[in-house]
Amino acid sequence: MITAEQKPIQEIRDMISPYKKILVLGCNSCVAECAAGGEKETAMLASALRMAAKMNEEDVLIEEKAIERQCVKDFVILLDDIIDQYDAVLSLGCGAGVQAVGDMFYEVPVIPALNTEFLGETKEQGLWLENCLGCGDCMLYYFGGICPLARCSKQLLNGPCGGSMEGRCEVDPDMPCAWQMIIDRLSRFGALERLEQVYPPKDWSKKQGVGPRRIQREDQQR
Amino acid sequence: MTGEYRPTVALFYCQNIPQSSEDHRRVLEKKYGQSMRLFPIPCSGRLEPIHLLRALEEFAEAAYVVTCPEGACRYLEGNRRAMKRVQRTQDIISSIGLEKERVGIIIESSEAPEPLGQLAERLLERALKLAPSPVLKGAMTTKEHPSP
Ligand code: SF4
Ligand code: SF4
Repeated sequence: MITAEQKPIQEIRDMISPYKKILVLGCNSCVAECAAGGEKETAMLASALRMAAKMNEEDVLIEEKAIERQCVKDFVILLDDIIDQYDAVLSLGCGAGVQAVGDMFYEVPVIPALNTEFLGETKEQGLWLENCLGCGDCMLYYFGGICPLARCSKQLLNGPCGGSMEGRCEVDPDMPCAWQMIIDRLSRFGALERLEQVYPPKDWSKKQGVGPRRIQREDQQR
Repeated sequence: MTGEYRPTVALFYCQNIPQSSEDHRRVLEKKYGQSMRLFPIPCSGRLEPIHLLRALEEFAEAAYVVTCPEGACRYLEGNRRAMKRVQRTQDIISSIGLEKERVGIIIESSEAPEPLGQLAERLLERALKLAPSPVLKGAMTTKEHPSP
């Protein structure tokens, strides 16, 4: 899923300050899972913003709503009959959600309330880890299902480095050494020989450098 | 401030604490009228920051949570969770410039848990030390759309 965290409230207040009627819009998918932009967080932010407005005697209308996904048109369109009541949307979607809502309602400014961060796993309650960079050419097979691009501090494809100590990473000893995990996991499968080849530097052209990425599937189109 | 300033307190309490039955609640509500709004919760772990925020936004000068003693929660961790949620709420209200003392948590002692009535009295006194809430001076409309 996509992870995000709420921006500082003062930054949000500054961005919404030109507007008088604001819809605080949550998204009940990824950002709800990482407790940043779901229904609950949307209600909390809206309540805090209303209180701040009252304290500062600002005459604004702040209302809230959460939709299933902000990054999918079929859900965004459900705002069609209420959007006219507002002069701005404060979105708690990820960056893709903010832009999708803006695309659909071109006349309305859509302001991000979150900082979108990474593709992550919910490791435990309240802990999210980045473990995929979305590189466009997955190599997990070769590395025992552990991504050295996302999880090795030096992004080594031929690790470990000389600093790996007792399974911890030398860059940040709080983190496990990804290469130790790769070796342990491959050994478990009896597949250590996958590391006998030397992997050339990562070809990043499938991720960036060739302009915005897109996926187009005719079989999925209407 | 006039001499008759009467703060409204929102009190969320775990139903496990002494003298917190519905009858007790009714007696207290009669006694305090608008100054005390009592919200029984089956377990303080159910409490969410939004409950406290809404109380502060809509009517309360201060919002407090009373939990059963640490280690005594029927649902194991409810009171500990409540503590974290109260802290989170304090962070949120501080971030908009509201005193964090407007939200608080009282963890009952396991040896001598205070009955609800006594707590209510004590917390009302605590709230009296706060200035009138800057949130409640103006009234504004709020509404929520049902999900599509
Ligand atoms: S190699 Fe790593 S970054 Fe690339 S797709 Fe696979 S997990 Fe993601
Ligand atoms: S210690 Fe391990 S994870 Fe850290 S940089 Fe070296 S190989 Fe990568």
